[in-house]
Amino acid sequence: MNASARGGRSKPAQVAHVTCLGCGCACDDIVLTLRDDAIVQAEHACPLGTAWFGDGRVPAAIRVDGRECGVEPALDAAASLLHGARGRLLVFLGDDLTCEAQRQALGIADRLRAVADGVVSETAAQGILAGQRRGRATATLGEIRNRADVVLYWATDPDQRYPRFRSRYAGYPSGLHLRRGHRCRTVISVGIGADAGPADADVHLSFSPEQELGVLAELRARLAGRSLGEPAGPAAELGELVGRLTHARYVAIVHDGETSVERRSPDRTEALIALAQALNGPTRAALSTLRGGGNRNGAEAVMTWQTGYPFALDFSRGFPRYQPDRRVTELFDHRTFAAALVAGAPGSVPEAIRRGLGGVPTVVVGPRASESPFPVRVAIDTGVAGIHEAGVGYRMDDIPLPLQAALPGARSAAETLELLAARLAGAGR
Amino acid sequence: MSGPVRLRIVGGAVHDPANGIDGEVRDICIEDGRIVAEVPPGTPTVDARGMVVMPGGVDIHSHVASSACNHGRRLLPEEHAADPASAPALVPEEMPGRSGSGGTLASTFTTGYRYAGLGYTTVFDAAVAPITARHTHAEFDDTPIVDGGFFVLLGNDDYLLRQVDAGERDRARDYAAWILGATGGYAIKIVNPGGIQAWKSGQRNLTEIDQLLGSSRVTPRAILETLADAATALRLPHPVHIHCNNLGVPGNVETTLETMEALDGRRAHFTHMQFHSYGKTAEGGWASAADQIIEYVNGNPLVSVDVGQVMFGPATTLSADGPLEYLLHASSGRKWVNIDVELETGCGIVPYSYAERSTVAALQWAVGLELFLLSEDPWRVVLSTDHPNGGSFLSYPALIQLLMDRSVRDAQLKRVNPRLLAGTALADGLSRQYTLNDIAIVTRAGPARLLGLRHKGHLGVGADADVTVYARDPDIARMFATPRYVVKAGVLVVEEGQLRRAPAGRRLRLNPRYDTAVLRDVRRHFEAYGTVAFDNFPVRELRDAPQEIG
Repeated sequence: MNASARGGRSKPAQVAHVTCLGCGCACDDIVLTLRDDAIVQAEHACPLGTAWFGDGRVPAAIRVDGRECGVEPALDAAASLLHGARGRLLVFLGDDLTCEAQRQALGIADRLRAVADGVVSETAAQGILAGQRRGRATATLGEIRNRADVVLYWATDPDQRYPRFRSRYAGYPSGLHLRRGHRCRTVISVGIGADAGPADADVHLSFSPEQELGVLAELRARLAGRSLGEPAGPAAELGELVGRLTHARYVAIVHDGETSVERRSPDRTEALIALAQALNGPTRAALSTLRGGGNRNGAEAVMTWQTGYPFALDFSRGFPRYQPDRRVTELFDHRTFAAALVAGAPGSVPEAIRRGLGGVPTVVVGPRASESPFPVRVAIDTGVAGIHEAGVGYRMDDIPLPLQAALPGARSAAETLELLAARLAGAGR
Repeated sequence: MSGPVRLRIVGGAVHDPANGIDGEVRDICIEDGRIVAEVPPGTPTVDARGMVVMPGGVDIHSHVASSACNHGRRLLPEEHAADPASAPALVPEEMPGRSGSGGTLASTFTTGYRYAGLGYTTVFDAAVAPITARHTHAEFDDTPIVDGGFFVLLGNDDYLLRQVDAGERDRARDYAAWILGATGGYAIKIVNPGGIQAWKSGQRNLTEIDQLLGSSRVTPRAILETLADAATALRLPHPVHIHCNNLGVPGNVETTLETMEALDGRRAHFTHMQFHSYGKTAEGGWASAADQIIEYVNGNPLVSVDVGQVMFGPATTLSADGPLEYLLHASSGRKWVNIDVELETGCGIVPYSYAERSTVAALQWAVGLELFLLSEDPWRVVLSTDHPNGGSFLSYPALIQLLMDRSVRDAQLKRVNPRLLAGTALADGLSRQYTLNDIAIVTRAGPARLLGLRHKGHLGVGADADVTVYARDPDIARMFATPRYVVKAGVLVVEEGQLRRAPAGRRLRLNPRYDTAVLRDVRRHFEAYGTVAFDNFPVRELRDAPQEIG
């Protein structure tokens, strides 16, 4: 339809400094142009961000067993389904919730003595576990932008899944602690199998997945002035790489914390953590972990501050237990849940969990709940964090950012979950 | 509509040193969250006869609600698993309590419950990177009961250091004011002035207060002077809060005294002083220099300190002092987190423990006690363990016992490794025992006064009705670990030793006045070097009105 031909159109309005949750970059310079309660343009957004914002229209249905109803009966039905279930309950945190909504959902899990988990459990668990064993040497993204004179991309080209990472956080130095211009920054690409680094890097190395851990071990050994003997890769190249790293003023090693198509060693992250830590002897170094969008880092932060653990929680004994080795997908292999609450976008629920939820009476409170790809008993549509709902969201480096409600009108996920929590508290007496 | 909420605490021995009351038996009357002179007959009562009544505890320096704390929590699943925390059994009218986990860095709800369970009702997080202030507010929102505030890290901030370099002290002052208001912070914190910037830039650290930072004209001294003057000019209720250079290094007493002298004539608070009070033997080994530090503090009324006592047992070292934490990692081999925080500061975390048989831990323990026992003015030498760096806040009752009961102290002194203690005042025998009034000063009245909290730390008319009632017990540690009643803002949160209510705490924050002309320049700085939009930096949805200034 020819938009301008329609009569009575409102004037376009602009909302600036909008934070995008299309990926973990959480770019906060987006300017949305709105017309008739829809997004017509997302200035500065990359293709991922443009797709994430879309036109900003979300369904606003409330359904119980497929029938439309009001929010009060739907909350009653949800509370009765969750409270009346006999057996183990699941609370799953999907994408696109504010931290305020995540906090409410986790409170419900605590009250119901449920198993609680989130998307990170399926996508980023190995890296989090490696960090718990070793710690990590890292930096927020602005330090990389302002300081790193060597950026080493390990088996990742951020342009694919984090399109603005390089331009915003690792492009040309801005001049605060490094001179300006690209000559002041050396970009090194290390490809592992099919996972290549940026094509325009200054230095290219590549190894097979079988060589990878040996190469990382050898790099660390050489930092300590030793060698493990027969090098896993070309000795001259490794020697040159060690020289570049140790002569740098500040090294940023960038890797992808999310799962990729290429099968990777579960020990990669731990080896990269160890390498980055060891580099802090001869120079300064930070490992930067690329993470997905949808405020997953927020879910991890909220779970950590409310329970002490970042994912894989089990409240069944009346306090949180950490079950990283018995995550939800594995639980589905052995038993089922009596009922489930999915808070957040059901489309973000990993495939294995969707399958498991097939026979489980499930409540979904979140964006596009009514369009869930798995069967739902109670569906309450809400707005999307950062498009319709204001609050806090986290960047991949755990920097908290404001999320705006650029488009009015959609139901608030945080408020809906708070109402559900209050009903469950009442029902518990 | 319900009427005013009232309570009368009857017949306790009141220790309210700010009002000159030392154990006098009297009633405390409460109406709508404040202390009042009288309440009508028929007001509900708490029977405190035979018990000890004090204002609620005020923690001037702790790490409980910050991005750094959360990185620490994430690092320590093994600690949490060993200390599960079930939800408290609150009264039916309350929303049900929340479960969590403990250890040295407990989860947020558990932290609130446990502080209140000790009779503490106010706590300050001492180190928040401004860019993470939103996170601190969110954690405090999930930390029930206690009133919370935080100090913003400014001593290594890029913009601030540029102003110091350029001699633009007015601009530095206005920037500090803007940061406080924009983040909802309460005081200016300096950690290892210039040293974190040196760590990030490859210079590794600054170890002398007149050492130049890189090729700039910035020195620790210039940073200290600039920010101490800013706090004074802005009439902040708490002076600049300083973690000196060279924390934890033998011989650092020299740096500490130089830092104090550099700020002579200005108000300044020096934190976790124990970690900065070490001498050096001829062979370069560790020695106590507590006597030199406390002599200076005793003689300089503008100076205040919190002790940062080391308590034996598990701890987590967690600090903006990145180079310090790197050294702890390198020397202990334990797991290590380092986070360089853009344009502002650093963050380091290393799990740690203090063993009685360790020579250095025993010395640190002794140095802290010497500071307490040689102090001539408890109002300016107040209690902290730099939680969780010197030990958990849960060890405060045991620390109070060490101060009040010489027999317990001497028994422990016999157990610790004596190698570095020869010649220390503690080993030579310090007989002083703190009185209940001294304890009320170092845990409540003193910190509240140093923080400029006019409604806290005392029980005079108009004060916040934060009150703790302890049942007397010859075991002082048990007495202070299990208060019989705790009242927070007029609400009875602990009843008969059980946590029964968990109202939300208030946020203690400032919004100082300043010349907004600085903001054009700050915006340029953000646009050139920042990764968060200038307009997104301020925390917009701050709870509770800012505290009054002046």
